[in-house]
Amino acid sequence: MVSWLGHWHPLVLHFPIVLLLLALFLGLTGRRVPPPLLVVAVLSALVTAITGFFLGKETVVRGSLLVWHQWLGAAVAFVSVVWYALSNMGLGRGIFAKVWQVVLLGLIALTGHYGGMLTHGEDFLALPIDPKQREIPDNPVIYGDVVARILNDKCISCHNPNKQKGELLMTDRDALLKGGESGTAIVPGKPGESEMVKRLHLPMDNDGHMPPEGKTPLTDTEIGILERWIALGASDTLRLSDLKEPEPLIGLVKSLMVPDPLDKWAEFPKVADTTLLRLSSDYLTINRMAANAEALSVDVYLPPEYDPQPVVNLKRVAENIVELDLSGIPIGSEEIDFIATCTHLEWLELDKTPIGDDAIEKLADLKQLGLLKVYQTSIGDKSLSVFKRLPNLKKLYLWDTDVTVGALEKFKGEAPHMLVEDGIDPEIEAFFIAGDTTVIE
Amino acid sequence: MEEDKNKKENPLKVNRRHFFSQLSVGIGSLALGSLLIPDLFKGREDNRAAMPLGIPHFAPKAKRVIYLFQAGAPSQLESFDYKPTLRKRMGEDLPESIRNGQRLTGMTANQDKFPLMPPAVNFRQYGQSGTWISDYFPHIAKIADDITVVRSMHTEAINHDPAITFFQTGSQISGRPSMGSWMSYGLGSENKNLPSFVVLTSRGKGNSQGLYSKLWSSGFLDSKHQGVLLRSGKDPVLYLNDPDGISRSEKRDLLNEVSELNKLHHVETGDDEIESRIAQYEMAYRMQMSVPDVMDISKEPESIIKLYGEDCQVPGTYAANALQARRLAENGVRFIQLYHQGWDQHGNLPDEMAGQAKDVDQASAALVMDLKQRGMLEDTLVVWGGEFGRGNYCQGKFDPANYGRDHHPRAFSIWMAGGGIKPGLNYGQTDEFGYNVVENPVHINDFHATLMHAMGLDHEQLTYKYQGRRFRLTDVAGNVVKDLLA
Repeated sequence: MVSWLGHWHPLVLHFPIVLLLLALFLGLTGRRVPPPLLVVAVLSALVTAITGFFLGKETVVRGSLLVWHQWLGAAVAFVSVVWYALSNMGLGRGIFAKVWQVVLLGLIALTGHYGGMLTHGEDFLALPIDPKQREIPDNPVIYGDVVARILNDKCISCHNPNKQKGELLMTDRDALLKGGESGTAIVPGKPGESEMVKRLHLPMDNDGHMPPEGKTPLTDTEIGILERWIALGASDTLRLSDLKEPEPLIGLVKSLMVPDPLDKWAEFPKVADTTLLRLSSDYLTINRMAANAEALSVDVYLPPEYDPQPVVNLKRVAENIVELDLSGIPIGSEEIDFIATCTHLEWLELDKTPIGDDAIEKLADLKQLGLLKVYQTSIGDKSLSVFKRLPNLKKLYLWDTDVTVGALEKFKGEAPHMLVEDGIDPEIEAFFIAGDTTVIE
Repeated sequence: MEEDKNKKENPLKVNRRHFFSQLSVGIGSLALGSLLIPDLFKGREDNRAAMPLGIPHFAPKAKRVIYLFQAGAPSQLESFDYKPTLRKRMGEDLPESIRNGQRLTGMTANQDKFPLMPPAVNFRQYGQSGTWISDYFPHIAKIADDITVVRSMHTEAINHDPAITFFQTGSQISGRPSMGSWMSYGLGSENKNLPSFVVLTSRGKGNSQGLYSKLWSSGFLDSKHQGVLLRSGKDPVLYLNDPDGISRSEKRDLLNEVSELNKLHHVETGDDEIESRIAQYEMAYRMQMSVPDVMDISKEPESIIKLYGEDCQVPGTYAANALQARRLAENGVRFIQLYHQGWDQHGNLPDEMAGQAKDVDQASAALVMDLKQRGMLEDTLVVWGGEFGRGNYCQGKFDPANYGRDHHPRAFSIWMAGGGIKPGLNYGQTDEFGYNVVENPVHINDFHATLMHAMGLDHEQLTYKYQGRRFRLTDVAGNVVKDLLA
């Protein structure tokens, strides 16, 4: 009965907040507080405080948040009763009453704040964290950098020292092993027997489903990560590099590390389909990278008579182009100047074009460029220094160019993380050229 | 969509059913529209059903597919699935616990014994991935770390025609659109001067099965999505060249006039196929310029010719088609389907298979390497494989030097490279007899779903309503094999 009454606390608590604030507003602005209003407000504050104490009984382990909230709530009830007494004694409008009202106002704010933190988590009101800081580091520790992050996002708000729902803490690995009311949360090596995993898979309308209705559920990827982490023994030292293909955890973790390209493109200016239709031709195809995306991919093919104008006309949508294929097109400086304005370009194909070092020099500001094809061109060693300055360049295709072997080797040493494709391995090529293909023993 | 078509074709024949369905939609949507803010509760995923065609549903990894189909079904036991147990237990009868009631074709169903037959070829491990590859494929062995071998493919069909139809169209019964047509329908064209789905065929000396144009048919989809068969030799596309005495400008005038007439007819009947036909004439006109250019390999350097093998200069060979496939891919063809016939080794397997492998081994590997050096393996998915596998027991007389293998649907191997597929992976496993899949099975529907996913398409969302029901390439099945995706 006591605990049932306690469950009314989240409903009742809204009354004293509203009514007391209303009464306080009238009081502090020097108006008369209607006695019935004050009576109801004070009574509701009392009921709320009492039901609050009942609800608090359910929680066995009490964090400091709960303790503060309880006693502040009690103080609100007490102070409001005193206010009622004061106004009954005819002291409702003096300076003393005003001070008293200010104290009450402060108490209500604090109690509400602590209560809010109890239900929504301590950092609910914190400013959004810069996405940069949330990036998973290279070669993350699976527990510390990935699993803990998922639990933090989706579970901690109800399973922390202040609000230990089901007596379960999810703040660290030992706590998960210790478990709560329903026993241990995870069984290392056995995701199927782990209470946490079982509850993630319960149907949404089952009361045992976690997170409960109304809270953000885990994505398939997140569930997959938790399962594989448990299956692999729920270690807290395991790193991504310790895993061997075809372990699915590798792909799952990596998918979290690579941001969804659609998010990256979300801020692009809008382009109408009619604009794209007008700018494209039989020899120039413009496609959206995905439905509803403003990011564009452009392919240019060689018409019987080439004219740079259709390419240059694309400057209207330059900021939207993320992929541009000009391979085999006899481009000149006009096109290069246009490319330099495509600041969001991630993928650029300039192979088999008549470009040289001066053209590459103009592309030095393409900060997003990740893949560049310049094979079968006459670029030379000077271009290598530009490639080095492109912060996002990860894949570079250059063979059959004027780049010297020595300079290229040096470049590869200086940019170890870049994939530099400089043609087919001569040894393998020799094997292919050697002719006879089949060895039968 | 179909309803629109009906209405266009028969503008006055709005029947009762149309009337009421339109009426109810009208009133219903008015009411709903006034009550709800659209999409208020919807995430991004849920909007896909209403997505326009010709655009991927999400950012794709692959933009095109080169499918090296080995028609007739190469034996996995002599190529990519190494089973030493077959040698240890050579000649023993296939245990019933392993066969487990598998139905057999009429060719071996009446055999009273099913003696286990080991491969007549050696296997070795290659690359960092340690992939087992037989000595029939020394060149593919060199790209072991670029390819992912799936050893756990399985299908239901046990005969060639239903099996290959299943692989190509998602159904054993003919009539559905081909995989390439679905891609063309879902993604549109990258280059308006070439069809988005092209077919090239070649034939080895081994025992062959027929190839029919239904395999690259667009089924109930618009006929512009149909695969275009490029023939070997002087005329890759029949009747593409102007007849003698007709100049290109005369051809242009002719097309303009014909197009006018066709447009009149379209206004009269509303048949969308007329629009398709007009577009096809225009495409053919542009192909007069683009096709000879793409097919002309005379400008390919000596090193490339050598890489694919000298055969690639002989039109109609697998090697020539492989080189052609790269050139078509460079020119923005979405789906390039090769077929190499002759893999149906019911007898004389060691000899025939060595010959077939010699046909395709070097050129297949060369294609992957060539795409890789051009950065095209980033966005081109290459698939190599047949329509099913072959049995682990001997067909016909038991002779380890000259034996045959019957069809086997329960397990076979294919490989894939590039286009958003993890490289250097060995995926799935068969039992020690190479008969049943014991780990990570991949059904044809799963394969299709995965292929579509790599291309940025959700296989459950790309549908076409025909005869009152929405069709998919994966019908009502298929799961994306996420483990294969990079």
